[in-house]
Amino acid sequence: ITVVKSGNPHDADIEDNDFAEFEDFEDGVEVLEDEDRAEFPDDVEVQQQKEGGAEGEDDEETTIENEDDDDEFEHFTDEDEFIGFDKGQSPSSGKSKDKLPNLKMTEVPGHLRTNWDSFYMEILMLAGLAVYFLNFIHGKNKNHKLAQAWLQSNRDLLESNFHIVGDDGSTKEAQAGTLMKESENVYALWCSGRSALEGMLVELRLLKRQDLISTMTNMFKPASDQILVTIDLDKNVMDKFVFAIAMKRSCAKLHKEMIDLSQFTEKKNLDKYSDMPSSYQLLSEVGEASNALLDKKVCQVLTKFEGQVEFMHFSDQFCGAKSQDESQATKMPEVKPVMIFCFNVPGKGKSKPTDMEQMKPLLQLVFYCLEKVSRLQLGKEARNKSEKNRKKAEEQFLKAAHSQLQEAAQLRREEKRRNEKERIMNEEDPDKTRKWEERESRREMKRKQPKMKMMKI
Amino acid sequence: MRVNQQVLNSLDDLVHIGKKRWTKLAKMLDRFLYKPPQPGGPSDDPTPDYMNLLGMIFSMCGLMMKLKWCAWAAVYCSFISFANSRTSEDTKQMLSSFMLSISAVVMSYLQNPQPMTPPW
Repeated sequence: ITVVKSGNPHDADIEDNDFAEFEDFEDGVEVLEDEDRAEFPDDVEVQQQKEGGAEGEDDEETTIENEDDDDEFEHFTDEDEFIGFDKGQSPSSGKSKDKLPNLKMTEVPGHLRTNWDSFYMEILMLAGLAVYFLNFIHGKNKNHKLAQAWLQSNRDLLESNFHIVGDDGSTKEAQAGTLMKESENVYALWCSGRSALEGMLVELRLLKRQDLISTMTNMFKPASDQILVTIDLDKNVMDKFVFAIAMKRSCAKLHKEMIDLSQFTEKKNLDKYSDMPSSYQLLSEVGEASNALLDKKVCQVLTKFEGQVEFMHFSDQFCGAKSQDESQATKMPEVKPVMIFCFNVPGKGKSKPTDMEQMKPLLQLVFYCLEKVSRLQLGKEARNKSEKNRKKAEEQFLKAAHSQLQEAAQLRREEKRRNEKERIMNEEDPDKTRKWEERESRREMKRKQPKMKMMKI
Repeated sequence: MRVNQQVLNSLDDLVHIGKKRWTKLAKMLDRFLYKPPQPGGPSDDPTPDYMNLLGMIFSMCGLMMKLKWCAWAAVYCSFISFANSRTSEDTKQMLSSFMLSISAVVMSYLQNPQPMTPPW
């Protein structure tokens, strides 16, 4: 379609308004369809040429106009000035299509404001905290129920044996029935007021059911709740011996960690005790004491409650476990006679309050052993043997402490000599320094001389 | 009046036995106070202290380096340390570790309200 623009044929008087040029445009535009063109091919071409010519004149006019402009910028197209500049090529047509940089539009999200579901990590975190808190409440209540169940089922036996049961020592008057809560999974009961002992501490070391992580580790590595009974005996009630019977899995650890067991006892086999279960191991210092303690009744209880009695440790030289740091103590550790019993609650971590009630016979075992130990009197020979062991242990200790004291003295001496040397070096008076050097060399000579012994004939 | 020596001895024995019984009876009424276990002993559980320390470190990282997952980890550490804490432990320590970890979370979201990007 060729658009032919025809001028204002009648030279009509054009009002001077803003839309003047559009008026011409609306009247005169004729759209020549192809068919019309066939009828007047020449005229149209002539007209086009005219227009072309007219345009050309216009161009010329415009070029005339341009000519004045070009002179002004002539020096830009001077080939001498610019190397590689081709006069014929117009700057605009120089760039071919393929050199145009392909602009990659980056994806801008529809709108920058986020909505709730993009906070999925935060929701996960909060959910984890909620689960942890719920498990904390549940575990705490479960532990509390287990501890109370143990106390209720053993209260009458304890009250028949002790004057004070459940005293936390916080008030002047003795309390009763207080189960002290050390933490969410450790409860303690202190009883005192009985002959032959100062006090008995029962520690209920339950599993950490309140901690989700421990609960999950217990699923993979099952463990059981433990009850640790520690009796502080009176002085001179217990004869001089150290004895322990433990499950094989904890015997090695006990033998290595406990100072008194590692110093005084050795591993003994249990063949001569006919009805003793094979999963136990004996650590004994005086055979006579072990025979007296592992009587028929005790062996039956250990057989019946095999696995529930973890270990029994009786010792008059108890001073706790070995300390972590290697430094040798310079003072003899304080020893005291104790009886320690460790029981496992049945149920392997899934214990119920009824399991706690079945632990009553084991508490009776504690009192039975207490009576036996307080009545046990060693024979002369056994007592001499244990006295000798204690003396030997004391000497070993003093020797170790002595060597440590010697090392400390040596260090102090060297420190003193170094200070003296520094003082002399800073000394201005040459005589003093010479005298000091002579004294030092004489001392060195005397030290180097071989030590000769004078033989009196 | 001469009292038979034997009678005297038996009286002494009676007194002696009585004394022994009496001391035994007195002992029964003796009250020995409970000595709580020393902190740091072998039976002492180190978990709450370690978790407390870890919580403090995570809170510092959350605050200084504006890492959101560190701040959340600090909140978890405070919770675990609270769950395993001993009743004898003072509550101020527990409260300060909670406050520090929660402030780390709040500050990291105030500075950059965008959702958290997991560390992996």
